[in-house]
Amino acid sequence: MKRFSRGSALLGGLLGAALLLSACSSAGTPASTSSAGGTLVIDKSFDLKTADPARNFETTGNILGRALYDTLVTFANGDSSTPIPMVATKWAGNSDATEYTFTLRDDITFPSGNKLTADDVVFSLERVANIKGNGSFLMAGLTASAIDPTTVLIKSEAPNTAIPAIMTSPTLGILDSKTVIANGGSDAVGADTADTAETYLNKTSAGSGPYELSTFDTTTETVITANPDYWGNKPKYDKVVLRNSTAETQNSDITSGTAQVALDLGSDQIASLSGNSSVIVSTTSSPTLFFLFSNANPAVSATTSNPKFREAVTYGLDYSGLLELAGNGAVRAAGVVPDSFLGALKADQAIARDVTRAKAAVATLGGTPTVSLEYPSDISSNGLDFGPIAERIQANLAEVGITVNLTPSPVATALANYRAGTEQMGLWLWNPDFPDPSDYLVFGPGATVGLRAGWAAGSAPDIESIASKAAVTVDDATRATLYQEFQTKLNEAGVFNPLFQPAASVVSSSSVGKVLFSPAFGLDIAAIGQ
Amino acid sequence: MFARFVLKRVGAAVLLVFGIVVVTFALTALLPGDPAAAQLGDRASGDPAIVEAYRKAHGLDQPLWTQFVLYLVHLVQGDLGTSLQSRNPVLSDLAQFGPASFELAVTATAIAVIVGVGLGILAALRANGPLDHTLRVVSLGGVSIPIFWLSLIAVFLFSTQLRLFPSSGRLNPGETPPNHITGLYVLDSVITANWATLGSSVAHLILPALVLAAPMVGLLLRFTRSSMLEVIGNDYVRSANAKGLPAGLVVRRHILRGALVPVITVLGSAFASLLAGTVLVEQIFAWPGIGSYAYRSASNLDLPAIVGVTLFVAIVFILVNFLVDILYGLIDPRIRTS
Repeated sequence: MKRFSRGSALLGGLLGAALLLSACSSAGTPASTSSAGGTLVIDKSFDLKTADPARNFETTGNILGRALYDTLVTFANGDSSTPIPMVATKWAGNSDATEYTFTLRDDITFPSGNKLTADDVVFSLERVANIKGNGSFLMAGLTASAIDPTTVLIKSEAPNTAIPAIMTSPTLGILDSKTVIANGGSDAVGADTADTAETYLNKTSAGSGPYELSTFDTTTETVITANPDYWGNKPKYDKVVLRNSTAETQNSDITSGTAQVALDLGSDQIASLSGNSSVIVSTTSSPTLFFLFSNANPAVSATTSNPKFREAVTYGLDYSGLLELAGNGAVRAAGVVPDSFLGALKADQAIARDVTRAKAAVATLGGTPTVSLEYPSDISSNGLDFGPIAERIQANLAEVGITVNLTPSPVATALANYRAGTEQMGLWLWNPDFPDPSDYLVFGPGATVGLRAGWAAGSAPDIESIASKAAVTVDDATRATLYQEFQTKLNEAGVFNPLFQPAASVVSSSSVGKVLFSPAFGLDIAAIGQ
Repeated sequence: MFARFVLKRVGAAVLLVFGIVVVTFALTALLPGDPAAAQLGDRASGDPAIVEAYRKAHGLDQPLWTQFVLYLVHLVQGDLGTSLQSRNPVLSDLAQFGPASFELAVTATAIAVIVGVGLGILAALRANGPLDHTLRVVSLGGVSIPIFWLSLIAVFLFSTQLRLFPSSGRLNPGETPPNHITGLYVLDSVITANWATLGSSVAHLILPALVLAAPMVGLLLRFTRSSMLEVIGNDYVRSANAKGLPAGLVVRRHILRGALVPVITVLGSAFASLLAGTVLVEQIFAWPGIGSYAYRSASNLDLPAIVGVTLFVAIVFILVNFLVDILYGLIDPRIRTS
């Protein structure tokens, strides 16, 4: 028995040592400080793939890109309606919005010592176009050229008033062209195979932004440090750790002080923080649109392609109930264009539930229409899962006599059906690629999302005519009217049913202060604490 | 004799690995969904030129048979392809994430063996007593409580409320990992005498390892108990007790040795469930291991990574089974001679 006692003592000793070590590692205390010049820890559920701006088109990458690279113009203070100067001090478009001239600052120097010139801008934009990546569509129909070292001309094949808004995208971040070329970069046609600079850019940033890349890891954490020679307002924090963590972990981290900013907390978690004076919750409506569609292609479904069925769905949905389900801070989507963008419909222009009308429409169909509703079951956005929303839709439509069979599947599978246009009904979301209503013309007949709902070109000439006009109109007031008309007609057609824009909440520790969500790039790290 | 045994095992392992490659490759390729669509954004997937460039760059434009043959050719050369997600060679991803999972799994196993076998011995020695009944509940709880729920409760209790252990990652935010020697942070910290990192890495390891060990503890506890009780009833144990040998000696030399063979078998299978459990535990604790990598790969139809992870896990299984066979021989000489 003596030896057993020794074994127990050894075990006890080991456990004691482990607890002591854990205590020494300050596990329960914040590992970072939030004072000026200190370290800031930001928790985010990663979708990070690359630190190369031209190859990035993910939300985490946008946050990182905004910190590492300057763009011609940008947005500030959570606004996404009015671009403000960044590398470009001023810009002007011609009368038909086919040419935009940007005048650049002449006092920006990259960490390599190279001066930022128009050649760097042209290289960066053309590289995005020719790399054939997720963000290449931003440069579709556009060409950039250097007029002189501080002037860039961007030409568009068709009138395009969205160019300044497009130029805010972190994908179009400006690279130190000489450094990137020396490390395998290319902006020429064929860059999709010739450009090998991603490996370099995943180790060393080549931008003039407020931060520089310190360590890059797509799975655990990415660390950035302040650029000592940044030309603009110096960021408050010297070091920022962007950590990959689930919403549950973020909740724990922000409560314990391990992280100072949490970006993915759901409405229930945020509600549980009420009364906690150590955190500040900043909630705005996100520009993300949750929408439902009924396939207009008779080959996919004779039922959903029937306008009477779509009428029944449109007036059978309980939009208020769905909004409640989306949680505090969410807003009703009156149309497809988010409420903060030009041309958005006003709340009172939204379709209201009319059960009698919906039932009357169902009656004309004969029998009980039965359809399937597909949605991705393994992803969430702004803390919202698709499952409960789909179930509520099923219940709403059952009330008006429509049987909806739910067909959830993993996003990788569901995406294939959605993009192939074979779903009878689909529940999806749309995030803006750039903050301009023209990004929502994709919902029209024959356009990208329209085709996914089986809405072929020529199906609704009146809507297509308005869309064509809106795309080339330059005057903002006229544009706003056209986009409102476009959306009103979309709502009447009922192929798409805009549901709501979820809340976008940023939770920060009180020592950091209020942190604003940016609809354009998620978060402006350099602005935190300013 | 032993060399022949090893050679036969290695031959069987190679065939098994080949079979796994064929089945995994075929099943993943047959899954509904398009890897290009899963990787490309909404806009890019609508542009045929971009889709074509993507398919060409990743060999997805080739017929499935050609893709498979190319994969095998590269596999023989030690190339597992490039991950569509991370854009790194799968082998280098596995080398990056493998040690994290290995560290977690080995720690969990060590905890499970010490606690599970220890409590199993106690339960057997106090069979049908109050302690045995209590441990039966512990064992039942260990095997039946869902690991994701246990993870969330552990985070809430020990991290959020008591603040005893950190809830995510392998180190504190922004902390520099120890110099890479084995990739096991605890071991590397000791080797490099980096005591600050040692504290941090141990603190981060404890909670996920305890959670991961829980089902294994329950399993080992039950098997050790029943196996011990079987051996305790044997004549040679009664003889040893009758000779007046110290109780500890009888347990270690006579009972435990005989009882361990079935326990080791269970340990092998338990290691299998432990590897499966890492997917959930690693997700919740943001542990950058194979489980997290597997989850990301599967949800993004990252074929090279999926096959790579499957191969990795299969090889680990084969190695564990091989080790179990060797251990049998060491513990029970009758198996060695037969």
